Amino acid sequence: MRIRWRGQLPQIDMPLALAALGLVAIGLATVFSATWAPGAHQGLWTRQLLWAGVALGAAWLIAGIHYRAYDSLAYPFYLVSLLLLALVLVMGTSAYGAKRWLEFGPLKFQPSEIAKIATVLVLARRFDAPHCDLRKIRHWLPALLLALIPFAMVAKEPDLGTSLSFPVILIAMLYWGGMPLGTLLLGLTPVFNVLLFFMTGTLWWFGGGLIVLIAVVRPKWSTLLVILALNGAVAYAMPHLWNHLADYQKRRIETFMNPDQDPSGSGYQIIQSKIAIGSGGVVGKGYLRGTQKALAFLPMRHTDFIYSVVGEEFGLLGALTVVLLYALLIVRGYRLALVARNGFASLMTVGLVTALFFHVMVNMLMTIGWAPVTGLPLPLLSYGGTALIVNGIQIGLLQNVALRRGEF
Amino acid sequence: MQTSSQARRFREERFALLAGVALTGFALVILGLLRLQVVEHERYVLLSKENRVRLEIIRAPRGSIYDRHGELLADTAPSFTIVFRPFPVESTRAVMLLHRADWTPRVAELTGLDTTEVKERVAVANRGGQTAVLRRDAPFSVLAAVEETRSELPGLEVQVEPLRHYAHGSLAAHLLGYAGEINQSELDERADRGYHLGDLVGRTGVEKNYEDILRGRDGAEFVVVNAMGRRVARLSEGPGQPPVPGHDLELTIDLKVQKVLEEVMAGVERGGAVALDPRDGSILGLVSRPAFDPNEFSHGLSQARWDKLSSGGANPLLNRAIQGVYPPGSTFKVVTMTAALRAGIATAATRFDPCVGGYQFGSRWFACWNKAGHGSLDFIGALEQSCDVYFYQVGPKLGLTPLEETARGFGLGDRTGVDLPQESRGLIPSVAWYDKRWGAGKWSKGLLLNLAIGQGELLLTPLQLALMMAEIAEDGRAIRPHLVQAVRGVQEFHPQKPAQPGVIASPAVWDALHKGLEAVVASGTGTAARIPGIRVAGKTGTAQNPHGKDHALFACYAPADDPRIALAVVVENSGHGGSVAAPLAARVLRRMLLPDSLQTPLPRPVAPVADTTGAADAD
Repeated sequence: MRIRWRGQLPQIDMPLALAALGLVAIGLATVFSATWAPGAHQGLWTRQLLWAGVALGAAWLIAGIHYRAYDSLAYPFYLVSLLLLALVLVMGTSAYGAKRWLEFGPLKFQPSEIAKIATVLVLARRFDAPHCDLRKIRHWLPALLLALIPFAMVAKEPDLGTSLSFPVILIAMLYWGGMPLGTLLLGLTPVFNVLLFFMTGTLWWFGGGLIVLIAVVRPKWSTLLVILALNGAVAYAMPHLWNHLADYQKRRIETFMNPDQDPSGSGYQIIQSKIAIGSGGVVGKGYLRGTQKALAFLPMRHTDFIYSVVGEEFGLLGALTVVLLYALLIVRGYRLALVARNGFASLMTVGLVTALFFHVMVNMLMTIGWAPVTGLPLPLLSYGGTALIVNGIQIGLLQNVALRRGEF
Repeated sequence: MQTSSQARRFREERFALLAGVALTGFALVILGLLRLQVVEHERYVLLSKENRVRLEIIRAPRGSIYDRHGELLADTAPSFTIVFRPFPVESTRAVMLLHRADWTPRVAELTGLDTTEVKERVAVANRGGQTAVLRRDAPFSVLAAVEETRSELPGLEVQVEPLRHYAHGSLAAHLLGYAGEINQSELDERADRGYHLGDLVGRTGVEKNYEDILRGRDGAEFVVVNAMGRRVARLSEGPGQPPVPGHDLELTIDLKVQKVLEEVMAGVERGGAVALDPRDGSILGLVSRPAFDPNEFSHGLSQARWDKLSSGGANPLLNRAIQGVYPPGSTFKVVTMTAALRAGIATAATRFDPCVGGYQFGSRWFACWNKAGHGSLDFIGALEQSCDVYFYQVGPKLGLTPLEETARGFGLGDRTGVDLPQESRGLIPSVAWYDKRWGAGKWSKGLLLNLAIGQGELLLTPLQLALMMAEIAEDGRAIRPHLVQAVRGVQEFHPQKPAQPGVIASPAVWDALHKGLEAVVASGTGTAARIPGIRVAGKTGTAQNPHGKDHALFACYAPADDPRIALAVVVENSGHGGSVAAPLAARVLRRMLLPDSLQTPLPRPVAPVADTTGAADAD
């Protein structure tokens, strides 16, 4: 079937575009406010304005090239991003005790952001392949590996928040690609296994959960065997690996899993963030009138804790506006995946939207004190050039799909 | 098309779930916002407007240090510290007060610092947002003055903090070391190890070596303070953390022995003395002169006082017992004798050419300290009388390498591995060392004559000297000297493997050495070290010092038939080992080995014959 454009220009997804632009605008205003008071970060908002322009250009450019090009380049792109991740581990720049950045002259960026997009592309390409049937283990097992490699590399930096977005993206895309929900949960048990081990130190919780899950899902024998073998291997290896770690390495992993245990560091930030938001009340203290941020009580107020400044100055009304804009962006994004006719485009959309959603959730829950401090910025709002450009690319890819939603 | 509509329903189902998850997530955020901004709004307004939340460090008390019988040597007691704490900049009143011209001079007056120092510390605190210590262990009168004027001096606060206290003042100062306030570069270096501005950190001695065991871990709590920076309440929410006290250490030091050593060395201007137990290498006492009082460092030291302590010729901070290096003089003849007996170039009964007051080697005349000459001596007699001529003849026959090997076997020329920082190696020259210094083959065998009697480039520390004696007492068994016997309630310390191999030789060799060393004290150059009823084995030494008077050395072990103490005494620029160092050693041995009934002071021992001759390198 051919699409006729009825004499109109190609249609981008207007609500999605407006939501993104609105968030960037709120971000700019808040960065201005957060860096307004005299101090180390004064005047950073002009740079943010510049980055916003660049990000818009990037979105435009990315949307213009047919997604088929990204489809065919998925694997090379994925390999390059793995290479960059390896480079970070070797020669990355540290900030707050973790190596996350790569520097090339004036250019400084987090390859994990690029790896996320690359992983989405490569998974979309795999799942869209003609004979791919995600009910079959030999089709989804390699995908698991594709996501776990960047997951492990980013976790090693260490960057818990970003690394967890890989399994989350994988889950959403497997589900969208047609994998039965039960099999999906079973397939991810090794990941839960590792996480639960680190969080609770024992495997009882996990074992119980696994038995219940198997009883409910009733997988095929072959699937069950593979799942049990994988979990057995993980369960056997983890305590051994753990015992082989030096004390300082164990401590590092423990703080990594439970950052709240360090009261002088992230615990302090959370409390200050809660005070900022809570004291904002329903209508806020007014633009540029926040006191917490002015006192430098809120560290990283223009980056990771920008939402706290929104909450303090614009109150519940402002904070809710931001939530609703994100909700619009995300739901509209998933709807785009529903209406897109091309398999690759639809899968890519789900992956990208899920990545955005995960970042938004982790950051917002952190600022209200319901999630640990992991150092994830708020997409589109937080100060930061590369993050904003990557967000621009993500939105550009979504609009790319929107422009061609009728194509097969 | 049924399959198509089925597929569509299938996708719509999945869309519904994804969107549902997303909306649930956002609903959760909204719930959190409602709780913070509506339900608990009042409380957070209070916290943000009138009050501030601040993280307060609760300092962990440092572990105490005890002697081997549980006598206290160092502990921590609460004290009052005046600090400056940065406060919210928007509190206009406080800022205006801070910028009033008299703030700095008034604070300087209260804390005893000068105005530039106050300015500097306040600037550092403001930059880092941490408190700055202005005066430790402030007396009550000053505390009262601070309390009275606090509303006019914003930022100034009194904190209760553990203060390091050394129970016996300068006693054992060098081995205990001291703990000082952490400085900025140390803080940066140890950023990830939980140190905070104002923490004490071990700088020398046991305090430094066992820093990680002694220090514990600081705790923290969130407190609510008002706009002037005053503490109002403890915050109920938020993770606090109780401090973990440091562990207590039990040293091998015996307070009684240490006291005796201190007392005996009290009249010594510069020098060091070490007493250790040859059976297990535990150090019983260690003294260095001049000494300092580590309590001074706990109170915070002024720059002038620090300069005085750390520089100048006397340098009281230097631990001469392990860091001071001295030419061994005749004490080294013990090494020469051991090496010669091991190599088989002589036995206890071997007689060389008789001593006629000197020895002709090539074109050079090597003088004996006794110009009159000792006549014909066997090896034991040569050690007893410290006859240079006998040892001149041993040197070239022995050669440099066997001598060096034996010295290294005793642990000379290298760190003993004692659990104290900054130990010196001393120096035992080797063939390679001379080749490097003079060029291969460009040095003569004449050097060996000097080395054989302990002259030349040789250097050793008092601890190495005591260790050597202990090892001879134990027939060459390698010993690791150590200072800590246990971390209280946690673990016992077992002596580690010694750093040196020890010296392997036949029983006849050790027998000859024991006999010779006993003869030194019984009837030779070391008679000043005699004590009634106990056999003492020792060796005197007088080290020539180009810069002034000779250094006096004496090393011994006792009782000779059942050695329980090895002792070395070194007194700088004082004269002869036999007349200066040996009597000091005798006083220590007396107090350690004789029952109380025999403790009446004896008249000063008669100086041995050697001293009355006044020969230049006499011994």
